Order: sequence, then structure tokens, then C-alpha cells
Amino acid sequence: MKKEQLILSFVAVLFGLLVAGIAFYFLQTAKTIPDANTKTASITSPTPTISPSITLTLDQPRDEEVVSNKVLVVSGKTQSNAVVTVIADSASDVITPSTDGSFSTTVNLDNGQNVLEVISIAPNGESITIKKTVTYSQEDF
Amino acid sequence: MYRKILLFLLLIVCCLLTVNIAHAQTPTTQDKSDQIRDQLITNIASRVAQLKLVEKRGIIGVVTNVTNTQITVTDSQNNTRFIDVDELTKFSDPDTSGTFGISDITNNTTVGILGLYNKESRRILARFVSVISNPIIIQGGISAIDSNDYTFNVATENGKQIAVDVENLTRTYSFTQKTDYIKSGFSKIKENYNVIVVGVPDKKNKDTLIATRIIFFPEIPSSPKVNSTLEKTQK
Repeated sequence: MKKEQLILSFVAVLFGLLVAGIAFYFLQTAKTIPDANTKTASITSPTPTISPSITLTLDQPRDEEVVSNKVLVVSGKTQSNAVVTVIADSASDVITPSTDGSFSTTVNLDNGQNVLEVISIAPNGESITIKKTVTYSQEDF
Repeated sequence: MYRKILLFLLLIVCCLLTVNIAHAQTPTTQDKSDQIRDQLITNIASRVAQLKLVEKRGIIGVVTNVTNTQITVTDSQNNTRFIDVDELTKFSDPDTSGTFGISDITNNTTVGILGLYNKESRRILARFVSVISNPIIIQGGISAIDSNDYTFNVATENGKQIAVDVENLTRTYSFTQKTDYIKSGFSKIKENYNVIVVGVPDKKNKDTLIATRIIFFPEIPSSPKVNSTLEKTQK
């Protein structure tokens, strides 16, 4: 193939691409959407749900945890002036948190699955509950 | 020109072939020990990953479906959980004296499951399945007391009124900042006290709870939500 032919082919391809690009640009800019196909969407702000003013977080135990010790440590954080009640299947304890709101206590577990409920009650009577399932087992599997 | 290009390509191919031949030489002792080390590392890593993938877990759920190899339950968070059962799974029911198996488990039964939870498949391979009955815990404000019948009503934050029956075996406790957590009695309970009741449903009357434990708080009133729901029902 001669050099001139190669250059000509290259120039022709470039020119073709340029013409196609210009044509496509004009086609896109000339497009209009008819009114019948347009829709208006209105965004309404959602109604906020009133959450309790009291907070409670549990550090220990984890939900669905399996432990091999009958004495379970329950610890977490809540409002400093709240009263925390820890209820296990056959034992319960009521404690007051420290000034920073952290609390820790122990409860005895029954064999098998235990439902542990931690209820924090604020001085005005508002409360918050966290439920955990803790299993006491010494089975090896 | 073409000859030069062809010569250049031939040179590249020759170089590549030489490199490949050099790599395909017989492995030395050092290479073998490296291979063994790599294999060991791979095996240990795969075992560690396997151990991390599976952990012991215990859940409580209400049975929604049972087959020979699988139990479907709804857990306390209202999630559907799939429990796999195999020949090593042991079944028990404290109320049944004879043998108890998967065929004895029916829908709406509350079961406790202990097994191996696979974090990837999110399924539990059950090792122990037992029928259990957990106590009910309610918390709210005391809305009415009947001293003659040893009963009282608890209004909860979700607008329910639950009758609580106090029996001889019921253990009653109170908590104040001054006295701390102490044993108490039914006579000390007053209206509008904040209360927690642990009990079992009365078989004769489904709306009544037979209390096994009562913890009341004389210093803490009923929740404002309880009061507002009570006002609404009174209207």
C-alpha cells in the first residue's frame, strides 16, 4: 500500500467521524419532550416519629451468645439518673448507673436459653427495653 | 524494512522461550520446601476462615414450619430463621417423659435452639432443640388495685390493660434510692407506681397474668405515654 493511500484513508475516516459527531449533536439539541409526557413530582417531608428521650445501650452480653459460665455480666450505658432493671428467667437486679451513665451487674443464668431483659426507667416514668437471648451450655460440639 | 521487523519479532520470541525454559527446570530442595510451606499456609488460612465462619449460637423462636431436615422459626425480633437438623440433633421436651423427636414438634411451639451458626448462609445447624416456655415480662403503671382479690391492673405504653394476679408464691420487691432493692409486699403497692411484672399467662383467663415476680418503684410514676393512653380510653 502506498503512503498517500494510507494518509487519505485516515483523513477520510476522521472526516466521517467528525460529520457523524456533528449530526448527532444537532439531533440531540433539537429534541423536545412533549408536555403530555412530563410528570411533576412533589416531595413531602416525612412526619418525624417521637423517640423516647431516654437511651440505653448494652455492651454485654451479645444477643444469641452461648456462655459456659452461670454468672453473666450485664453492662451498658443509659441516662445517669435512670434506674436499670435486669431481669433473667429466675433472677433480677435493680441498679443505678454511675454519673456517666454506665452500669454493670451480674445475674445468674438457668440451663439452656435465657431471655434477658434490661429496662431503663427515667425519673419521669419513660422507659426503654433491650431484650437478649443468652444460652448457658457446657456442651461441646 | 519488513525483514528488519521480522528479525526483531523473531528475537522477542526467542527471548520469551529462553525465559520459559529457565523456569521449567527441575525444582531444587529449596523450591520443594517453599511449596510445602505455601501449602501449609493455605491449609491453615482455610481452616481459620472456616472456624471464623461458624460460631455457637442459641436462639428462641416460635415454630412456623417443620420438615424432616429443617425447622423454620420466628425469633424474638420477628425474623424468620432457618434451622437445619441432622442425625446428631437431639430433641427434648421437659413435659414429655418418653422419646421426643422432630415429628413431635408442631407449629406455634416455642423452642430453644442451640447449634452452629454459619455467618455466610445465615443458617443454624441445630445440635439441641428443646421445647421451652418463657415467662412474660410487662412494664407499665398500676392503674387499679383490688386488695380483696389480690389483683391489680397494669397499663402499658402500647395501650394495653393487663390484669395481674398475685399468688402466695409471688415474690414482691421495691426499689427506692433510699432503701435500694428490697423485698416488699402486695400491701405496699399503690396506684400510679411504675411496675415490672414477670409471670405466666393464666390458663383459665388469657387476659390475666399470674405473677411470679413483681418489682415496683414508689418514686417513679407511670410513663407519660401510659397516662395519655389511659386518658384516651377513659374518654
